[in-house]
Amino acid sequence: MTKTIKTSVLRYNPDSDDQPYLQDFDVEYEPGMTVLDVLLYIQDKFDSSLAFRWECRGGQCGSCAVRVNKTARVACRTKVEPDEDLVLEPLEKMPVIKDLVNDMAQVTYRLRRIRPYVARDKKPVHPEIIHSEQIEKLREIRKCIECSACLSNCPIVHETWDYPGPMIIRQIARLELDPRDVEDRVAMAMNEAVYSCTTCKMCEDICPKSIKIPALAVELLRAKAVEAGYPLDPGQQAFLDEVNKTGRSVTVKDTPLLEDLGTEEFLVDNPRGRVGFFTGCLIDYRMQSTGKALIDVLNRNHIDVIVPKEQWCCASPAFRTGDLNTGRDSARRVTEIFEKAVEKYNFDTVVVACAGCGKTLREDHYPLIEEERGTPPTYKVYDLAEYMLDVIGKENIVPPKGEINLKITYHEPCHLGRGQGVVDQPIELLKLIPGVEYIDDPMKDRCCGAGGGVRAGYRELSQQIANTRKEYIEETGADMVTTECPFCTIQLNDMMKGTEMKVRYIPDLLAESYKKGDE
Amino acid sequence: MDYKTIMCDILVVGAGGAGCRAAIEAAANNLDVIMLSKELLGKAHTAMAEGGLNVSLGNVDPDDNPETHFKDTISGGNYINNQKLAEILVEQAAQRIFDLEDMGAVFDRTPEGKIAQRTFGKQSWRRTAYASDRTGSEIMVTLTEAIRKTSVRVFDEVFATKLLITNGKISGVCAVDLKYGDYLVFRAKSVVMATGGAGRIFSVTSNAQLDVGDGYGMAYEAGCELIDMEMIQFHPTGMVKPESAKGRLVTEAVRGEGGILLNNKGERFMNRYYPEVMELAGRDQVARSIMTEVLEGRGSPDGGAYLSIAHLPKSIVEFRLESMIEQFEDAGIDIREEPMQVSPTAHHFMGGIKTDEDAGTIIPGLFASGECTGGLHGGNRLGGNALADTQVYGAISGESAAKYAKSVSHLGVDRKTITQEFERIESMLNRKDGISPADARSELTELMWEKVQIFRKEEDMQFAVNELRRIEKEVVPNIKVDVPVKRFNPGWHQAMEFVNMVLTARMVAEAAVMRKGSRGAHYRVDADPNDKGYYNIVIKKGKDGKMEMQKDDLVITKITPP
Repeated sequence: MTKTIKTSVLRYNPDSDDQPYLQDFDVEYEPGMTVLDVLLYIQDKFDSSLAFRWECRGGQCGSCAVRVNKTARVACRTKVEPDEDLVLEPLEKMPVIKDLVNDMAQVTYRLRRIRPYVARDKKPVHPEIIHSEQIEKLREIRKCIECSACLSNCPIVHETWDYPGPMIIRQIARLELDPRDVEDRVAMAMNEAVYSCTTCKMCEDICPKSIKIPALAVELLRAKAVEAGYPLDPGQQAFLDEVNKTGRSVTVKDTPLLEDLGTEEFLVDNPRGRVGFFTGCLIDYRMQSTGKALIDVLNRNHIDVIVPKEQWCCASPAFRTGDLNTGRDSARRVTEIFEKAVEKYNFDTVVVACAGCGKTLREDHYPLIEEERGTPPTYKVYDLAEYMLDVIGKENIVPPKGEINLKITYHEPCHLGRGQGVVDQPIELLKLIPGVEYIDDPMKDRCCGAGGGVRAGYRELSQQIANTRKEYIEETGADMVTTECPFCTIQLNDMMKGTEMKVRYIPDLLAESYKKGDE
Repeated sequence: MDYKTIMCDILVVGAGGAGCRAAIEAAANNLDVIMLSKELLGKAHTAMAEGGLNVSLGNVDPDDNPETHFKDTISGGNYINNQKLAEILVEQAAQRIFDLEDMGAVFDRTPEGKIAQRTFGKQSWRRTAYASDRTGSEIMVTLTEAIRKTSVRVFDEVFATKLLITNGKISGVCAVDLKYGDYLVFRAKSVVMATGGAGRIFSVTSNAQLDVGDGYGMAYEAGCELIDMEMIQFHPTGMVKPESAKGRLVTEAVRGEGGILLNNKGERFMNRYYPEVMELAGRDQVARSIMTEVLEGRGSPDGGAYLSIAHLPKSIVEFRLESMIEQFEDAGIDIREEPMQVSPTAHHFMGGIKTDEDAGTIIPGLFASGECTGGLHGGNRLGGNALADTQVYGAISGESAAKYAKSVSHLGVDRKTITQEFERIESMLNRKDGISPADARSELTELMWEKVQIFRKEEDMQFAVNELRRIEKEVVPNIKVDVPVKRFNPGWHQAMEFVNMVLTARMVAEAAVMRKGSRGAHYRVDADPNDKGYYNIVIKKGKDGKMEMQKDDLVITKITPP
């Protein structure tokens, strides 16, 4: 029997309709089918006036970007899942002409503002000599086909066109990297609010050419700005000064976890494994009980936990804001500390409880250390949920017994989901807790607005992004939103102040269930 | 019938490689230029060109020069090219690629830092400049950047439907704004046609959906001469699977970089047909070889041949064929490990609007460049010569249009003709009964794919001609749009395009019947051995409204056909 896919398409003809409305179509599934095939099927079989753009059907022209189940995608390169309903909508932010066709005029205006072409101050001599090394980085971000999909789901563009969005920031970086361009593109990037990006990587996920825009454009331009002497926002600089001075990005309030613990070794009888625990600044200085909860959860699952007494900030705030000197220094220190511990205590895995730290260890420290000395750090990095599901294994996890009777949704930290590819594991952990009714948030991977130095430096923008996120969370009707990152937890707590919504960090909740089960 | 009139000095119809280049050149003359684009700016089919642009820089093989490029182009074109046009192409290609670099293009480099060049079919030297296997995209992006620097006014998603002629000279264009359905008249002193090809008249094609032959249809109706319309290049390697990707281009660069073709017995069959050049024989030759294998039962399970690059180092494949990796990944194939299935796909129109060395047509003030023109490539276009064509003749057409515009003032327009044209378009919306454009279109494209294909024979083509004449008479006037809405209505857009598709298809089929021998891409299984084919077929709309065809002598400057 042929499968049918229920496809809802947002229809709108402003000439005749007061509001957009969803229209449902049954589409016959064929293996290999793309979203473009679905749209063409509907146009062919049901309604030839259904408006959407397409040209090349090969991911080369960038005409056919639409939102597929809330996330913008290039239709011709997005495969359809036979068991999943489809909701197709026009891109966000740009006004609609009809159905799935957006008016792209705003994008064109926004592009023109950055003078998006190689500017020259003298006539070139032919042939121009340009060496491959000079264009190596440029070549990578040159692949953009201007589909504008990344603008649609960018949480910053959603709040303001002051920020031109990933596609256009990428063009500034492309011109900055071009040895022929004579304009001061760093100054331009500053003028175009390059520090507004939270580095949530949504654009990278959406990009049909997989261009790493946050790293190759945003962070590159920020590093160049720092190099050129542009000061960071005082809010951001304070954290970096603190890192350089104390090894922690925040100042002490209560007794830090590492002091309080008294020992480095949390060993169990008959361990099935042993890990090091990288606490990060927030757990050490602000969320001490969470740190203990995490150790407890691991111990209960027969894992030895080693917590080196002297730890150092991963310097995520430095890497994200372009202060590479602080970043490099921290990477070296962290590597040294944990490699020593690895040797002393004989383990090869480091569990990180913070999404931002984990991503920084993996994406920044690893390549940097490898580049400096030829070999990457000797340990592997895991997120807690990832470690429990992928290493311990679901079947081996000691089931938590204490009931927590709540409707719970999940906020996916950007630097965990897209940053480290850890998507389902935290949800799996949640579902292990008896009583929990898990409610999926279709926008769970939407940025909370904290990262990339935005909370530190641009609090107002950060709050705007948070408020949008808040609406999506509240729409789920859950009693509690959980997450797997201390920084997101802090932002979510702020966001939910004055509401009924509870906010919890998943290891905390897990530890609570274990404790309840003991009683 | 309400319409708005928009004034400009120069109107460029089409916004691909040639159109953008023409607009940039024209605007450099302190004239007001409008560029109409059927699609959004930057989305034209040029962006899908993959392999590269031919220019005899000699950066890799120092012995290369324009003379050799010329020889390769003429022999590759089976000697029926317009040699005057070809001479200009090979002479000016170098300056035009430097223009692209000046605008910001990023081509791959040699170790010395010059533009790198790769092997392509039927070329004596490594001549094809490239940016990985996304050269067309690189050029399109560059031209888009450059257009944004100029004063050119871009009207995107505006569809030209008719050329306006006053006293035998160009005076403007009728057009429909696809976004909102408004009728527009553009009055211009000169007009450049850069409307691309018509691969979409075949059911299997590498072309984007917009390539339906609008320019051929409009030019024919306006009284232009069209040349070599029977010469259709079937690119030997199009994708076979999945169904929705059928016909998508697999770049010649795969074979240029060392890819080999195999049949279902694992034999490198090109050895049987063209042992000297193997996979790098002419596109028409490789296409026929693959089809012969398939017809004789040695094809792959899905009716193609295998193309393998798996023997090359992965790093080379990853650097130079990145789009191919992506394209086949989508189909579940890792080309670094396994072979691709390929078969021929309708790719390029060698024929088109007949132009002179200044890109002029027989209508004063009307110029044309790019794939919508004919004569330059003869019976078979070399891979890499099309992108060169867009840049060389794009620039020439822009310059000529500017020169012409400076010498004349705006002509009047015939408002009755304009009203009739918009009534014709409006009537598709108002018709109560009729034929849906989608049905009409699939009938046409299947007919062309079945009957006017790679291996041609008289009775098939005659059948096609008769069918097309019938379609023209019975279907075209009865095209009916299902939903009578003017605001962005793809059904209406298709209906407007259909008349051009039929006209283009008819020119192809009628000329193909007239050419009794085999020559270049026109290969007849029932070829008349006495017809050596050293002539061009020129088509024109006669005074009585009937299609007139005649054989013209070749334009020869240096190389006499063997």
